[in-house]
Amino acid sequence: MSTMGCNEFLNQLDAWMDGVRPSEGRAHVRECAHCRGLVEDMDAIRQTAGAWAAADEHPPARVWVSLRAQLEQEGLIRGAVRGEESHRATDLFGWIEGIFAAVPRPALAGAYLLALIAVSIALTGPSTKQLNESRWISGTQTSTGQLSAQLQTAEQDSVSAMQESNPVVTASLHDNLAIVDNYIALCEKSVQEEPENEVARDFLYDAYEQKADLLAQMTERGVNGR
Amino acid sequence: MSTLATLRNHYHCHHWKAAGLLVPGLLLCSAASGDRIERHFKVDAHPVVTIHNPNGMVTVRAWTKSDVMVVAKRATNQVEVDAEQSGNRVDVQTRQVADTASPDDLRTDFEISVPEDAELQIHNDSGGVNVSNVLGDMNVETIAAGVDLEDTAGYLTVKTVGGGFQCLRCAGRLEVTSISGNFKLVDLRSYYVRAQTSEGNILFNGSFLPNATYVLKNYSGQIEVRFSPGDSFDLSATSLKGKVHNEANLTPSSHHHLASRFGNALFGTFNSGRARVELNSFDGTINILKRD
Repeated sequence: MSTMGCNEFLNQLDAWMDGVRPSEGRAHVRECAHCRGLVEDMDAIRQTAGAWAAADEHPPARVWVSLRAQLEQEGLIRGAVRGEESHRATDLFGWIEGIFAAVPRPALAGAYLLALIAVSIALTGPSTKQLNESRWISGTQTSTGQLSAQLQTAEQDSVSAMQESNPVVTASLHDNLAIVDNYIALCEKSVQEEPENEVARDFLYDAYEQKADLLAQMTERGVNGR
Repeated sequence: MSTLATLRNHYHCHHWKAAGLLVPGLLLCSAASGDRIERHFKVDAHPVVTIHNPNGMVTVRAWTKSDVMVVAKRATNQVEVDAEQSGNRVDVQTRQVADTASPDDLRTDFEISVPEDAELQIHNDSGGVNVSNVLGDMNVETIAAGVDLEDTAGYLTVKTVGGGFQCLRCAGRLEVTSISGNFKLVDLRSYYVRAQTSEGNILFNGSFLPNATYVLKNYSGQIEVRFSPGDSFDLSATSLKGKVHNEANLTPSSHHHLASRFGNALFGTFNSGRARVELNSFDGTINILKRD
C-alpha cells in the first residue's frame, strides 16, 4: 500500500524522470492510474526524442496528441492549446509553452521545461551521427533561439513569483541564475562561432537544462512560499 | 495513519502545550527562545526518513537500534517542528508559524539517528547537511547549504545550487550536480560517479574501481584527478577553452579521434583501462596528477 499521495508524487516528478525512483514513488505509480499514465507519457517523450535523433527531425503527431489528450482529460491543461495538426517544431514549442503557462504545479513546470530541452536536443539530431551538417546547424540555430526565448519568459515568471523569505537563499538563487546566464551566453557565442562544434553545443544544452531546473526551483518557491 | 511516538523532552523545553499533545505528529514546545525536542519512532528494516528543514543544520548518523531518533533544536518558537510516522516512513519538517520572523528566528538544527539501512530524503535550503554511516539510498537537495557525506552507500543523488559537496569513503552510485558548489570526492568506493558543477572545482582523490565509471564535468574552475600507479582506467579529458595537464603515462587511444577536433583533449589508457574516466570542462583546467 503506497503512503505517497498524488501531490507528493507530482512534486517529485522531475526527479523521477531523472531516474530517482524511491520505493514509495514506485508503489504509488503501481496503484495510481493517473500518475502511471503521466509517467508513461513522459517516458514516451523521452523515448520518442531518442528515436527522432536517429531518424526524423519531426516528432510523430500521435505522441503529442495522445499526451495532450491525457493531460486535458486529467484536467492538468486546458483544451485546445493548439490544433492537432501542429507537429512542426515551432508549434511544438508553442504547445509546450502553453502547458507551462497553464500548469501551475511547480514540479510539472520544471518537468516540461526539461522536456523542452530534450525535445530541442532531439530536433537538432545527434552530435556524432549528423549526416547533413548544414541542416543540423540550421536546426541548432532554430531550436536554441526558441529555447532562449522560452527560458527568458519562464525566468520573468519565476523571478516575479519568488517570495523573499530568506535573503541568503534568494541571493544564492539570483547569483547562480546569473552564473548560468553567463555560461549560456559564452556557449551561445561558441556555437555561433563554430556551429559544427558538438562539444560546445552539448555544454550549451546542459546550461539550458540547468537554467530550466533552477527556474523550476524558483517557481516552486514562489508557489509554496518556502 | 500517523503514530505518535514516545515523547521525551530535555533541558530547556519549558512546557508542553496541551493542545499539541492531541494533534498527531505535531511537536509543540513553547519557548521564548531556543529549545530542544526529542522524539523516537520504532521502525522496521529499510525505513524511509524524509527531512524538510529550510534553515539550519541537518546531521544524520546511523546507529544500531531499530529506532529513528529526532532531536530538534529550534532558535525560537516562531517555527514549529512536525514529526510524523506513517508505516515504515518518518517525515520530519519545520514550518514557519509567524509571518514576520527573520531567517535567524526560523533556524532549526536537527540531529537524527537512523538505522544504517534507512533511505533518506533531505531538503535543506541554507545551513548544512551532514550524513555519516548510512547505507540506504539517499536524495539530498539544497540551495545554499553544503552537503557532507561520510561512509555512506546506496544510490546517492545530491543536488545543490550554491552549496559545496564533500564525499568521504562513499560507496554505491553517486550523482551530484550544482551550479557554483565545489566538490571534493575522497577515497570513494563507488562504481558509478557523475559529478557536474558549473563554476565549482572538482577534486577526485581515490582509487578507480574496475569496471566503474567516473564522469566529472564543469564549465570553469578546476577538475583535479589524483591517480595511483596501480590504477587502471581509460581516460577521456577535454577542455574546450582551457587546458589539460596530465602526469599519467597513457597509451594513446584511437576511438576518440572525432571528438578531439574541438578544444584541448587527451585520450588514452592507463594500465589495462578497466575503469572509465571522463573529464569535461568548458574553459576550466583539468589536472590529472599522481597521488602523493
